[in-house]
Amino acid sequence: MRVQGVADLLLDENNVAQVARPGTSLARPATGAAASGSSSPAVRPMSTAGRPLTGFARPGTGAARPGTTSGGRGPGTAAGAVQAAMRGAKPGTARPVTTSGRFVRLGTASLAAEPGGPFINAERLDLRKYAARPNLARVLCDYIVYVDHNMRKALELAAAATQACGYEDWWWKARLGKAYYQLGLLRDAEQQLASSLRNQARARGRRPRLGAPSAILFVGPDARGSGVAGEGRMTDYAEGEGGCAAAAGAASASSRCRTDPAAAAEMVATVMELAKVHLRLDQPGAALSLYGDAAPRQPWEPGLLLGAARVHDAMGQGEEALRLYQQVLSLDASSVEAIACLASHHFYSGQPEVALRYFRRLLQMGVSGAELWCNTGLACFYAGQIDMALPCFERALAAADDGAAPDVWYNLSQVAIGIGDASWAQQCLRLAVSLEPGHAEAWNNLAARSLLRTGCARGPHVFEAHYNAALLAWRRGDYQDAWERVGAALAAFPGHTESQELRRLLRAELMAL
Amino acid sequence: MKRCNATTATADAVADTAAWRIQESLRLFQQATALNPHNVLNLKQVGRSLALLGKHRQAVDVYQEAQKLSPDDWELWYSRGLCLSHLKDQQDSALECFGCANAIQPNDGTYIQIGQILAARDQLSAAIDNYGEALQQSPESPELLTALGLLLLRAGDSQRAFDQLGASLLHEPRGARAILAAGSIIQDHGDHDAALVKYRVAAVVEPHCPQLWNNIGMAFFGKQARRYIAAISCLSRALYLAPFEWLTAHNLGLAYLAAGQAASAFQHLSAAVNLKPDFAPSYMLLAVALERLQDPDNARAACERALQLDPREPLVHLNCAVMLHNQGDGAGAAARLAAFRELSAEPEEAARLAADPEVEEAAAALELALGQRG
Repeated sequence: MRVQGVADLLLDENNVAQVARPGTSLARPATGAAASGSSSPAVRPMSTAGRPLTGFARPGTGAARPGTTSGGRGPGTAAGAVQAAMRGAKPGTARPVTTSGRFVRLGTASLAAEPGGPFINAERLDLRKYAARPNLARVLCDYIVYVDHNMRKALELAAAATQACGYEDWWWKARLGKAYYQLGLLRDAEQQLASSLRNQARARGRRPRLGAPSAILFVGPDARGSGVAGEGRMTDYAEGEGGCAAAAGAASASSRCRTDPAAAAEMVATVMELAKVHLRLDQPGAALSLYGDAAPRQPWEPGLLLGAARVHDAMGQGEEALRLYQQVLSLDASSVEAIACLASHHFYSGQPEVALRYFRRLLQMGVSGAELWCNTGLACFYAGQIDMALPCFERALAAADDGAAPDVWYNLSQVAIGIGDASWAQQCLRLAVSLEPGHAEAWNNLAARSLLRTGCARGPHVFEAHYNAALLAWRRGDYQDAWERVGAALAAFPGHTESQELRRLLRAELMAL
Repeated sequence: MKRCNATTATADAVADTAAWRIQESLRLFQQATALNPHNVLNLKQVGRSLALLGKHRQAVDVYQEAQKLSPDDWELWYSRGLCLSHLKDQQDSALECFGCANAIQPNDGTYIQIGQILAARDQLSAAIDNYGEALQQSPESPELLTALGLLLLRAGDSQRAFDQLGASLLHEPRGARAILAAGSIIQDHGDHDAALVKYRVAAVVEPHCPQLWNNIGMAFFGKQARRYIAAISCLSRALYLAPFEWLTAHNLGLAYLAAGQAASAFQHLSAAVNLKPDFAPSYMLLAVALERLQDPDNARAACERALQLDPREPLVHLNCAVMLHNQGDGAGAAARLAAFRELSAEPEEAARLAADPEVEEAAAALELALGQRG
């Protein structure tokens, strides 16, 4: 899942419904789920997009999706969505839909045929000629997709080859779908991938293995190794873009070795890609049913379960996601994502001791980073092991870059508050906001009036800031201001009883006399 | 196009008010007033718009203007009082205005405002009388009953407070404030299971109320069969939701101490002491925790601090005596024990201490030990 930039938002033609039914859209995640237990924002903080923090920051979830502008004037308006995109983890990643700029990679030296010249010049090839030679065409297609990143040419070749095969070859259809997706033609991609899956089902048993799609071959190690996250109370972590897609491809490739070819169902990679297209079209239900259908046929594949768990997480259905993460762990005991998510779930459901064990497992596995140390520190602190917590935070600070340091300082301020040292907490918070002026949670906790206003403006997802500002306005007697603030607070967290009470009082004040 | 019709302007303004566009409605009401300066209703609305926008001083002026036109309108007195109560140093005149309003026509809202001002000034008995008067007017208002119950609780009259809160709950069985207060009274009388039943209702209404979780934790703690794990997890949750509540930190320290985890207890007690430096029982428990952690010097210092803060508390003396005895200071322990006996002989203290048999057992055991030594 790519991060959607401003251009994606403005040029989105694939929107199915402006106002989706509750619980069917990623843009309005909390509408279907009851706000209770650990997923309630009072216990578990929200990401900028308004869903509970998971333990693992995934690309595409850092910034708000179109229509998620919870604090904006009119939800779903283009202006609001653009504002939200500008505010994301990487402001204004304005990547036009039609270029796959992220995939641009320099050709490695071994690939160059002549100094300075390209290995294969796809623009000059007569693709119809190659389409008639199936084996060469496959290799050529993969080269164009993964090395040249020339999706238009790949599409041309795949179309010609499909035609040559009489529209029966699932592999070419999957490549067509891939190329369409990269070009942003989601509906076409969906059609091709679904057709590819149908072909695979028909061919099942007859042709168990066919032209190994060598996705793994060209996936650079850079796409995978960006590590884990996990967050503490309010930390979030931006993984390298494309990590998920690449990891999914790798997982499916490795699992294929274990699966008996005769029993092999459809290719996992195709299923994952189709689900990705569904998600991009904001149809989480379709993606879930796809994962659900494929998972029983691929009992050894953690990728499908992880995919389904991610969707559940994004929809705010923490319990189902938890069950899936546990299944993933039983298949793949070193799945970093599953461990991190389980750890944060236990942390927010009041079992920091259990969370601590998961975090330690991650550390034992060799995963390291500011976020992980910070989370371990928090878990230590809430589990009462304060002597362990402070060294963890020291390590986190030593490992933190500019992106993570504000969150580490913020979490350290929580520890300071827990110890009762207000001046230390204040220093931590000041450091956090000096490093990141948009840290809404820190502004809220520093909380002077003007600061609260900054907090509200910078982080519409932080309901505490809105509520505090409303309460202050109410005490001051400025009911107009209070009404607007409390409205924003309730938009961020509809189940907040104190805000509801305040709104009731305000309405009574208006209707009095 | 210029509007010349006062009625139209008024209608628009009312619509704006209903949609919370106060600034707009203020402008329209002012226009309407300019066209028809003798309409009291318009003036009233101008004042109210100003009040809703937080411009209380201007609103008071407008209300005074309106009162020249219609001196016997209780709403004007009430609104003026409301604005004055938001201004600094005007509480007395606000009370006067509310008094005038009630003299013309008694109203629940007026009584509640008077009660709030009096309660904020710590004039509890006056506030209680005020609510009593209000209840004669409308005996079935849960809001008034709850407010009176809370005030009585603050004044220390828990029996009457409980009656009022019970009456309030009769009319509004899911009022979280009343449930919490009634539950805490029940808890004070030692019936922890009944209190838990009450809290169960409140927890559905307000699942994230830290005070509620604090009380639930202490109910588990106070039960006959002490359930430390449940108590500690409830208190931890309360502390997670409200990290600045020193009382919760104190309670959590107590729970850990009772569960035998002195290091954790020390952490939370020191947090409690940092947040609230003048609460003697926190220092007393801190001394106990330090003693268990084998730090006699600091324990003694904490004990002295507790004695300095509250020399009239018998439990502090008793704990000090036990600690001194454990450190081998027999004479000091005897002196503290004598102070304890003296203070606990007072009738009200004796009644309080009788609730917990462990206190008497500890004192008796200490006397025995000291007697053997002597």
